[in-house]
Amino acid sequence: MPTPTSNTHESDQSSPDGLSRRSFLRSSAVLASGLAALAASLAPLRHLNDFPSLDQFLQKYYKELTPEEMAKVLKRIEDEVERQYGLRPHVRDLKPMNGVEFVYALNLTRCIGCRKCVHACVAENNQSRNPEIQYIRVVRLPHGSLDLEKAEHNYSPEQVPEKGYFYMPVQCQQCKNPPCVKVCPVHATWQEADGITVIDYNWCIGCRYCAAACPYWARHFNFTNPSIPKERLNLDMAYLGNRPRRQGVMEKCHFCVQRTRVGRYPACVEVCPVGARKFGNILDPESEVSSILRTKRVFVQLKEELGTSPRFFYYFDV
Amino acid sequence: MKQAVRNYLVFLWRSGRLAFVGDWRYYTWMGVLSVFCLLGLNAYAKQFAQGLVVTGMSDEVSWGVYIANFTFLVGVAAAAVMMVIPVYIYNNEELHDLVIFGELLAVAAILMCLAFVTVDLGRPDRFWHLIPGIGQFNFPASMLSWDVLVLNGYLLLNVHICGYLLYCRYRGQAPAKWFYIPFVFIAIVWAISIHTVTAFLYVGLGGRPFWNSAIVGPRFLASAFTAGPALIILAMQVVRRVTASAPAGDTSRLRGEGGESQTPKSRAAALGDLDLLAGHLAELATIPQEVRKNILTGAMVLEARAGDVFLRQGQTDKESFFVLKGRVVVKREEGGRFRITRSLGPGEQFGEISALAGTPRTGTAIAEEPSQVLSLPATSLHKLMASPRMNKIIRSRMSERLLITDRALMTLRSIVQVSMLINVFLLVNEVFKEFYSGNLHVASAKYLFLGLHGYHALVPWIWTAIGFNLVAMVLLVLPVSRSLKWLNLTCVLCIVGIWIEKGMGLVIPGFIPTPLGEMVEYSPSLNETLVCFGIWAFGLLCYTVFLRMAVPILQGRLSKANEGQPEFGVSGAGGRSAL
Repeated sequence: MPTPTSNTHESDQSSPDGLSRRSFLRSSAVLASGLAALAASLAPLRHLNDFPSLDQFLQKYYKELTPEEMAKVLKRIEDEVERQYGLRPHVRDLKPMNGVEFVYALNLTRCIGCRKCVHACVAENNQSRNPEIQYIRVVRLPHGSLDLEKAEHNYSPEQVPEKGYFYMPVQCQQCKNPPCVKVCPVHATWQEADGITVIDYNWCIGCRYCAAACPYWARHFNFTNPSIPKERLNLDMAYLGNRPRRQGVMEKCHFCVQRTRVGRYPACVEVCPVGARKFGNILDPESEVSSILRTKRVFVQLKEELGTSPRFFYYFDV
Repeated sequence: MKQAVRNYLVFLWRSGRLAFVGDWRYYTWMGVLSVFCLLGLNAYAKQFAQGLVVTGMSDEVSWGVYIANFTFLVGVAAAAVMMVIPVYIYNNEELHDLVIFGELLAVAAILMCLAFVTVDLGRPDRFWHLIPGIGQFNFPASMLSWDVLVLNGYLLLNVHICGYLLYCRYRGQAPAKWFYIPFVFIAIVWAISIHTVTAFLYVGLGGRPFWNSAIVGPRFLASAFTAGPALIILAMQVVRRVTASAPAGDTSRLRGEGGESQTPKSRAAALGDLDLLAGHLAELATIPQEVRKNILTGAMVLEARAGDVFLRQGQTDKESFFVLKGRVVVKREEGGRFRITRSLGPGEQFGEISALAGTPRTGTAIAEEPSQVLSLPATSLHKLMASPRMNKIIRSRMSERLLITDRALMTLRSIVQVSMLINVFLLVNEVFKEFYSGNLHVASAKYLFLGLHGYHALVPWIWTAIGFNLVAMVLLVLPVSRSLKWLNLTCVLCIVGIWIEKGMGLVIPGFIPTPLGEMVEYSPSLNETLVCFGIWAFGLLCYTVFLRMAVPILQGRLSKANEGQPEFGVSGAGGRSAL
């Protein structure tokens, strides 16, 4: 059968010997320069910040870890922190307490916008200092309006509070119906029995869909490897809480699980100089938050119309 | 089974080899694309090492140009169905050959989509958390998990359909309908679903009022069915151009080596000639002797020398032809160039479309070497096709023809036309709802169209997009876009306009202002831009390779029949001569 060639070209491989050597040399040269170019283009990988170890790469999902495996993981994390910072932390896997559902109440009449909570939070939760990640954003609003479009984020007067304004701190609202949990494609974030939405920093793939879904701008991403000065490291750590995060994962306020699950107040509550922040167990009728929600005539769930049902309530002294 | 796999691998190997062979234009094109791919890879390596900090994204605007491109390209992939629907549902023969090109474009677009989502991940090393069964797959709650399923499913569907049709063409056998038609129909529904799911990714977020609008899904489809076919119109003309064998006017080539072309000598056909044909065409052997005699009425055998012409483009005669011996090429004049559309060996047919439909000849058939050809009048062809098996083989071969006619491009033009009108209409709806009601949620739209609180980075972009779309819409409605020059300009306007409107114009303003009312703008960094160029170059590289593999097979120049023979090296691109 004839070779289907057109008039415009001849068939390949006409003189086998000479041609094959020449074409072999030529393709080797092309291949070699191609590989060299490939290697050159991959050169920046030499400065890799955070190459996962095999154990890290293969680590199972939080909810699938047996207690023994969890113990190993916690030890490994302690080793990692020690290697990086030269200090040995204590990392625990704290579970929710029975019969506890945490809620937060914040008195907008009292808040003076001093941002002490913002910085106490950063110190407590081992957030990256450079670039700095903050879980709490305090906004300044003109008297009479809760319209966030009018919020001033970068207010910096010599003295707070200022006349004609009030201040509203916003952090993770620990929604009962959290959009961030719904959208996460890999179950890396979920709501625990005590109402806290947590993140498994070793499972997050960094797609940032939760950040797009959150109506409260509560989710913050590690755009690069976090840096914390060694002397600022808080060594009391929890797996789902304040242990140092890595590059490329999401983090957010977790009501200080390393404190609240052992019966202490969150750092922001403790530091507040005017007592605007109240925290407690809503299932306990005697708790301060229960009595606030029972007695205050008006309280606000931010963006209530979205149906997220926050466990974070803003109220006023009337 | 083992044999089938082996055959398929031989087919892939032989067609894949073609990707490395071409003329200097081909090498230049592939070389430039490779350089951009490597630049992109280099930029991505930087991002991989240092984190997403090297992009322009921030906590405030946490998705950028990666996701914008992803969204646009899902639309391009989905638009492949706009070629499939007319062919399989309305039996539009003109678009038939474009289906494979459209689906190959879909495959390339999906590969780009997957690349764009991968580079957007903060922890690409944890991709396995997304694999159903191995990782933790949040299905059906997360729309992103839907997207993973539908995109990969669509990729597999299209790879299967294209691969199977090309493989059958390569083997010279009719494709088994049950093995691809069901998938074609699944792919049609699937294509709509990939873009709807991608729209739902945004629509489902109550905290982002700019996206949380029911009209986003329909808008996505309308803009996809504008930009996708527009891209295919341009791509098809490039294919048509580079597969043209010789510049027009070079008539000596058309006539063969022997100067003036000749009409072949003919004699009346006999039963023996049909036996000869049956040797190459098994289906004919089933036709009983009486019918064969009947067919012979008016049938002739043409004895042709190389260069003799059997039929000419534009003529309206009604014979159909079967090659008995030798080889015949069909060339087609388009846009001032001749292009080899097919190369036919014994047992294969030509000229049957005009014989059956009475339309003018779409190409000129020339004997490439001394050949014997059986010529049948239309009445005989009808008699032959009364046999279901003959009917099937003739029809299926007709439908595998590589034919990019201007009429096919005009069919695509009307798709673009209607889609653009709907697209602009939906945009007007959206703008009206946002601005007339004027509630608090208008902030993002205000930022996009007019600027807000002194921030207006996107304003020039969106008005460029709207301007392009409107001009394109007017051009599409006017008859002027029936000329290819204007149509091409229109297509470019559509593609650029929609890329801006739907990519940057949809993704970015959703984040601005933030849910807490803060204004932070976004513009892609150089590194991020290089990654994007790299992925686009990678996609074009893939598409070029796919076409490189598919075109010679569709032309019949690479087939099972010439397995084991010296590789012919190149397709009609008039490629590299080895010596």
